[in-house]
Amino acid sequence: MGTYLVRRFGLAVGVLWAAFTVSFVVLWLLPGDPVEVMASGGLDGEPATPQQLAALRARYGLDKPPWQQYTDRLWAALHGDLGTSIQSGRGVRTEIAAALPPTAQIALAGLVFAVVFGAGLALLATYTRLPWLRQLLLALPSLAVSLPTFWVGLMLVQLFSFHLRLLPSVGARGPESVILPAVTLGLPAGALVAQVLAKSLSQALDEPYIVTARAKGVGRAAIHLRHALRNATIPALTVLGYLVGNLLAGAVVVETVFNRPGLGRLTVAAVSVQDIPVVQGVVVFAATVFVLANLLVDLLYPLLDPRIAAGATA
Amino acid sequence: MTELLPLLREPGREPAGEATGATAVVPVPLTGRERARRVARFYANRPGLVVSVLYVLLVLCAAVVPSVLAGGDPLTGVSADRLRPPSATHVFGTDYLGRDLYTRVVHGASLSLRATVLAVAVGLLVGGLIGLLAGFIGRWVDEGLMRFVDTLLAIPPILLSLSLITALGYGTTKVAIAVGVASVASFARVMRAETMRVRRATYVEAARSVGTRWYTTLRRHVLPNAAGPVLVLAVLEFGLAILQVSALSFLGYGAPPPAPEWGALIAEGRNYLANSWWLCAMPGFAIAATVLAVNRISRALDGEWARFR
Amino acid sequence: MFSVQSTRRAPLAVLAGLVLAASLALSGCGSGGAAGGSGPDTAAPAGPPRPGGTLRFAVSSDQGCLDPQQVTSNDTIYAARQLVDSLTDQDPATGRITPWLATTWQSNADATAYTFTLRTGVTFSDGSPLTAAVVRDNFDKVAQLGARALLAKGYLAGYAGATVTSPTQLTVHFSTPNVQFLQGTSTFTLGLLAPASLARSDDERCQGVIGSGPFVLGGYVKNQSITLTKRAGYHWGSPLWAHDGEAYLDGVEFRVVPESGVRTGSLQSGEVDAIGSIGQQDEQPLSSAGIQLLARANPGLPFGISFNEAKPIVSDPAVRKALSLAINRPEVVSAVFTSQTKPATGVLSSTTPDYANAAPLLTFDLDQAKATLDADGWAPGPDGIRAKNGQRLSFGVTFFANAATNQPALELIQQQVRAAGIELRIVQQPIANLAQVQVSGDFDALWGNTTRADPDILRTAYWTGGANYYRLTPGPLDQSLTAQAAATDPAERARLVAAAQQRMLAEYDAVPVVELSTVLGAGPGARGIRFDASSRVTLSDAWKADD
Repeated sequence: MGTYLVRRFGLAVGVLWAAFTVSFVVLWLLPGDPVEVMASGGLDGEPATPQQLAALRARYGLDKPPWQQYTDRLWAALHGDLGTSIQSGRGVRTEIAAALPPTAQIALAGLVFAVVFGAGLALLATYTRLPWLRQLLLALPSLAVSLPTFWVGLMLVQLFSFHLRLLPSVGARGPESVILPAVTLGLPAGALVAQVLAKSLSQALDEPYIVTARAKGVGRAAIHLRHALRNATIPALTVLGYLVGNLLAGAVVVETVFNRPGLGRLTVAAVSVQDIPVVQGVVVFAATVFVLANLLVDLLYPLLDPRIAAGATA
Repeated sequence: MTELLPLLREPGREPAGEATGATAVVPVPLTGRERARRVARFYANRPGLVVSVLYVLLVLCAAVVPSVLAGGDPLTGVSADRLRPPSATHVFGTDYLGRDLYTRVVHGASLSLRATVLAVAVGLLVGGLIGLLAGFIGRWVDEGLMRFVDTLLAIPPILLSLSLITALGYGTTKVAIAVGVASVASFARVMRAETMRVRRATYVEAARSVGTRWYTTLRRHVLPNAAGPVLVLAVLEFGLAILQVSALSFLGYGAPPPAPEWGALIAEGRNYLANSWWLCAMPGFAIAATVLAVNRISRALDGEWARFR
Repeated sequence: MFSVQSTRRAPLAVLAGLVLAASLALSGCGSGGAAGGSGPDTAAPAGPPRPGGTLRFAVSSDQGCLDPQQVTSNDTIYAARQLVDSLTDQDPATGRITPWLATTWQSNADATAYTFTLRTGVTFSDGSPLTAAVVRDNFDKVAQLGARALLAKGYLAGYAGATVTSPTQLTVHFSTPNVQFLQGTSTFTLGLLAPASLARSDDERCQGVIGSGPFVLGGYVKNQSITLTKRAGYHWGSPLWAHDGEAYLDGVEFRVVPESGVRTGSLQSGEVDAIGSIGQQDEQPLSSAGIQLLARANPGLPFGISFNEAKPIVSDPAVRKALSLAINRPEVVSAVFTSQTKPATGVLSSTTPDYANAAPLLTFDLDQAKATLDADGWAPGPDGIRAKNGQRLSFGVTFFANAATNQPALELIQQQVRAAGIELRIVQQPIANLAQVQVSGDFDALWGNTTRADPDILRTAYWTGGANYYRLTPGPLDQSLTAQAAATDPAERARLVAAAQQRMLAEYDAVPVVELSTVLGAGPGARGIRFDASSRVTLSDAWKADD
């Protein structure tokens, strides 16, 4: 168990370091002079003099050779310093912290929706005895993942806000403004949950112990919920880590559609003015969330299924 | 062309094996007529697949020769005929300058699909190469490359794409490259798994033991046999790439106006959402239908034919 | 777009000035009324104003700065204007400059000194009193502001300091005659800030300022919302308002909703009470849904294309002339803009004082456009786009995403000029990048307008001695522009302004296309929203009929 933990943790740290490195290489070493980009993005719109450019270069450590820039920035990042936003002049960490709560709201609500919608769909599809209904329900996830998220959001606004006038269209005011973004965000995630869970449920239902339970006269619903679902949950848990990362990324589009503040909007704004530190900060942050979510799943695994822990230490 | 699907599972080529869950099939020589009958029966039982194939053919036609499907000019409209709802003359309605929306969607296919093809090609080539090297050479090369791939997987694709766009700038080609790089990881993983599987197969071991050079082994045995599952993935990734490319185009990183990229069409339509629903809805249907059809075909490629036989 | 507050000409002798201003404004107002068909007030008052409630107002963009002395985009001005009061006000009906925080004022004969007497008992929302010294400090500070404060600097052109003669009296001095300054004092741009705000940096002030206005800033979330709350105890409202006491509304919430379709839908569904920037496509549906459309013509520079004359291709006057000839202005207006909108007929909007009608020069004549390019050596290429010496007749026009009409208008113009063999590429930028693009010169041409009720806007935009964003080369135009700013004789000034307009059109330094009319939508509950003299909203008298 101890070795398992250390190994998972080591891998997580390794992935984070690599994510930092990849984003550094992409953003800081690709064509284009970041300082000129910065100068045109800030400074109250005043034209930058060569002296100012040099000062900026020095301020961002760009006068140093690339490897030293890299080590400096990595060292700072290890201390939680992700640099300074060019656009706002505030710390990237501050910017991300400020943008996180509204995104967390819709991501969490989206996750809840995804799990409820996905599990409900999978349970219903495997439970029903009507072949056509099963076919229909099993086809829904592949439909859901084929729809462009931004389009789904706009169609929901049109239907629920403009025609039915049930929910607010855009913005972030009150709990009801979370519903449409969360549904938009959670739909593809829910489809994934449904697919994975339906598959593992039907596998679990073929297991010998289910056959035994059935022979003992346990009711269908009880078998479904008490026996099969518990065992089918473990494979479904694997996608959870993946989902959390994707919900965060989905915020980029969903927050734009619903005009909500948050990490997604922060990222889009940063991309449009080439605010490199913010973009890198968001990438590293998203990777951290992804890694942490997966680490959590990895840690939960042995608790749910002792065989894994045994296998890992063996 | 109608035999596209079955051909990928040509006898003599090994099916995907454990990666796709398909059962291995011992090739049985078939007469031409038997084959034709089988193919016909395969499609007859799958109307959805037939529709998907036909639709994708239509979209491909739109991408290559748009004027066959829509003769008009996608960039010029009659301003007096603006914002007309869908009708017999304008199937998808007209936009705010009186341009025919159907014509714009059809001509947009070439922009959007060209970007998608480029994206998949980037992913396929770069990812395929990484996977091939990792799987074929093994040892530390494998370890190093796969850690890199794990990292790419840890960054959500759209954020990875946005980082590249920040560095590269806007434009259809740049969007395509950004989407392609974000899909490198999946290609690398599948290619690596296939390469390793094939490398360990008896006939490859045998070829090696008789002294065949490594590159000959690679070209004659590993590549042809690993290609199948990777191409299946390419089709699946094609659907994903359409969505990613249109999302980035929706966010405004694609071609500047008035280029009728699919995502951009929907973004434009937002200004008319309240009273001209078709401007958003119609291009969205086109995207969704294409992705749905591509996904259906990728499922069919993924062992359905093999199982059917 | 990048808008400037209006400037009515300043009277040198107060009386003469007032008469002139009134006459000019009458013509301006007449056109505005005819175009809009609607007065400055919301229609049908239903009973007496009812205090309380929050007005929810959806606008299309956020410039990212709430300091009235630095802000230039109408959507953000709507909020910033409510935070501050000005020395004077301007009557939207007559154009007359009227007292506000200054009870009286005088200028000397050559318009180089203005003496103001302040109203007593005025305080800023942090409790500090308004004194002559604070006014002086405000003006002193403007000179130190960065490039964003171009408008404020323009109003104070030639500022040579102010002398405080008593706590309620000061004299503002100019080194050269400045006839437009008095109207400048009525603008939000010279709205007065508390000493605490003056002490802060440009960027800090953009986050919010302390003023003496009828509302105070409650909260500001960039690109999301600006929340204003009523200033308790306010009792120094402009005499032009319906009442001078506390605002009726408890608060105002400006929401940023970039898509005009979503704004319209939100207004129709009652999610917001009022919206800005209405598109033509929504006019009919909104009116039939019982929404009032409030319209007023904007004076100043019409929407049009101005060029970076340091760039190749657009530095060629023949190209600019051909572009102008190839644009079918009536079609642009009828296809994209609201029904009150008129095509541009001069370098200035028709409601601007000293506007010179140049309609014959701004007609649509495709043949002449082609002939102009032929004569200049641009030969049609295989794809219809012309080329000369291997160079394609292609240039970018940058626009800012702060009005839904911008992109459709440019797409239509692009379509029109292609017929003449000109390739116009559309480049979109966020409004927050406006100053940066102008300063860096990273554009071939810009699409935009500037609202201002004084011809001095020509000097702000096109004088090579100023910011000179368009990189014009110094020439005779400069003389006309500087001379009019100092011309204390109205007739002389009119002549100089006319000469400047003529010269600009001879060289096609600008290609005006369409005159902006501000159109707002007000839901059934929103009452008393008024336009000021420059078509920006005043909300002190606004109230909600039901909440």
